[in-house]
Amino acid sequence: MNGAQHILEAFHRHNIQTVFGYPGGCIMPLYDALVDDVSVEHVLCRHEQGCALAADGYARASGRLGVCIATSGPGATNLITGVANAHRDSTPMLVITGQVPSSLIGTDAFQETDVLGMTLGIVKHSYLAESADELPSILEEAIELAQSGRPGPVWIDIPKDVLLAEAAVAPTCRPTPKEAACPDLTSATALLRAARKPLLYSGGGISLAHAEKSFRDFAESSGLPAVVSLKGIGNPGKHSAHNLGMLGMHGSRAANRAVDECDLLLVIGARLDDRATGKLEGFAPNARLIHIDADAAEMNKLLSTELTIRGDLNTVLRELTQVLRETPLEISEWRKQCQTWRTTGGFQAADNEEPLTPITGPAFIRQLSRIAPDDTTIACDVGQHQMWIAQYYQFDHPRHHLTSGGLGTMGFGLPAAIGAQFARPDSTVLNVTGDGSFMMNAQELATIRRYNLPVKLIIMDNQCLGMVRQQQELFYNNRECQINLDDNPDFVAMARAFDIPALKIERTDQVRRGIETILAYHGPMLLHVAIAREENVWPIVKPGGSNREMIDETRRNSADKKEKVA
Amino acid sequence: MTTESCNSTPDYTIACRMNHEAAALERLCQVVRIRGFRIAKMAVETQDGVLDIALTVQGTRPVTMLQSQLEKLHTVEEVILTTPVLAPATSRTA
Ligand SMILES: Cc1ncc(C[n+]2csc(CCOP(=O)(O)OP(=O)(O)O)c2C)c(N)n1
Ligand SMILES: [Mg+2]
Repeated sequence: MNGAQHILEAFHRHNIQTVFGYPGGCIMPLYDALVDDVSVEHVLCRHEQGCALAADGYARASGRLGVCIATSGPGATNLITGVANAHRDSTPMLVITGQVPSSLIGTDAFQETDVLGMTLGIVKHSYLAESADELPSILEEAIELAQSGRPGPVWIDIPKDVLLAEAAVAPTCRPTPKEAACPDLTSATALLRAARKPLLYSGGGISLAHAEKSFRDFAESSGLPAVVSLKGIGNPGKHSAHNLGMLGMHGSRAANRAVDECDLLLVIGARLDDRATGKLEGFAPNARLIHIDADAAEMNKLLSTELTIRGDLNTVLRELTQVLRETPLEISEWRKQCQTWRTTGGFQAADNEEPLTPITGPAFIRQLSRIAPDDTTIACDVGQHQMWIAQYYQFDHPRHHLTSGGLGTMGFGLPAAIGAQFARPDSTVLNVTGDGSFMMNAQELATIRRYNLPVKLIIMDNQCLGMVRQQQELFYNNRECQINLDDNPDFVAMARAFDIPALKIERTDQVRRGIETILAYHGPMLLHVAIAREENVWPIVKPGGSNREMIDETRRNSADKKEKVA
Repeated sequence: MTTESCNSTPDYTIACRMNHEAAALERLCQVVRIRGFRIAKMAVETQDGVLDIALTVQGTRPVTMLQSQLEKLHTVEEVILTTPVLAPATSRTA
């Protein structure tokens, strides 16, 4: 077996059946080996960024390893945004790139780039395979590492001669690590019992640890009022009575209020990102903090914490559930208080059912949330539409909401939806995108067509880079700059050019029909939704401001718009 | 590698052991920089595929944060702070 065949062998051993890639010179030996392989499905995207983001979407939707492959030089550099995206959101990913032959490394050879050096800051770990003999053990280690502890992308750069060289090494199988013992939870329980207003704050770490069920059990049996980060949306489930929604910059008043007033904050699988906490000095000012996470380096990183517990979240949550079941918390006053906030300070968009009025973002998403089937997965892009999804769509599971949280990558949604559809072929997968974001990876329409994926695309078209426009309005005195997209292509015609049927709606009375039509269609379909240009996401906390200072619609900037003359 | 030590920011000395793999030192230096420290002095010895690194770094952030980020590197075996760590500041923000 040569190096390339060893890679496929590792895929077989780890039951990796779907990979996303794009061929080229130095990775050709692997593509040659693929010709004779019957079990690995290689998905050809139309740009390496699409490959990496599709692998990311696949991993997020399935909870399994995402794999992407590219050639050296431009292939590798094109992957970078997607790998950085995975790194920031801790997606388990294996990245394989071809490199120029060993003897040519360092000679500025054709399509040589220093991949190892260039990617150090966006990987969990990386390797340069120096010989075919070491490749099998590198692959084993990389696959394990990408998925263990706090997951992340692991990159293997492989010179072409290493892919071609014969290696006799028998494939290694590493022993699976033993289940870790549960850390001591006595102090945590004592703090919880001493608190009068305890609050649960969870994030993306729950699904990364595959702890969705343990979390749900804990949340239910503890009856703790709960807030979530952007990545934690779906953790409490859509029927949870205690869920106050997302906290932070575009969070609900209820969630931010509860954080402000709580006397104990139990943070599980979240890293206290600045978009969630706002200005740290004003964050949870009355609370003691307990931080439970898989990554020790997150502890005390930004806020000093009363108690840190590092461990497997599944184990910890099960144990905590047990303890609280035996003696429940007595916090009915606080629960009642949070309930009141929940009814007055949640996201209840008035549905604008006036039939002939323009469509508004929040009302559209609410309608979508009511109509779409329960197991729908939504991959969003970045901007106002992303926040409306976070605010108004009722998710029942964190893996149903795919969003680029840490990096905020415009162009994430379409390839991520492709990956998600491969991961969950029988479920409804939607890409909800903006007119700006859609154009960042629009080439992947060709991938949807080629594999006849029934992905539904919804473009919320406000003819501008809405999120930037909003901040220019509110924080730059309405001085609009480079956000205008009123010369967008005809999205319907564009989809049709890829042989994807499409439909445009612009009035409220067309919303229901529009959504029902695309959902009922058996193949891919695009819905172009024209919405008002001037709409904002409310509430909003000024970047760097405290979550206590939420700005709402009454503070719109009516200053005359100033645009640069062309 | 030596640069002049500046007086305003504290110095910390760190002993670090890591595997001698491709890009090992770059990986280490990159973490030091991105987490807010400057390398003022660095000595490296290699033995049986292991690097022994003595580092002096300068920075105003808590050095224990740098320690935990270095420990997170897959090929790092051990990170020891050889200067005593000052008691943490009373402020809640790290
Ligand atoms: C690759 C990339 N470039 C720039 C940005 C900065 N950015 C954040 S939101 C946004 C506007 C997005 O516009 P659109 O997709 O139309 O969404 P909208 O806000 O209008 O709903 C921009 C430019 C980004 N997040 N990602
Ligand atoms: Mg837009």
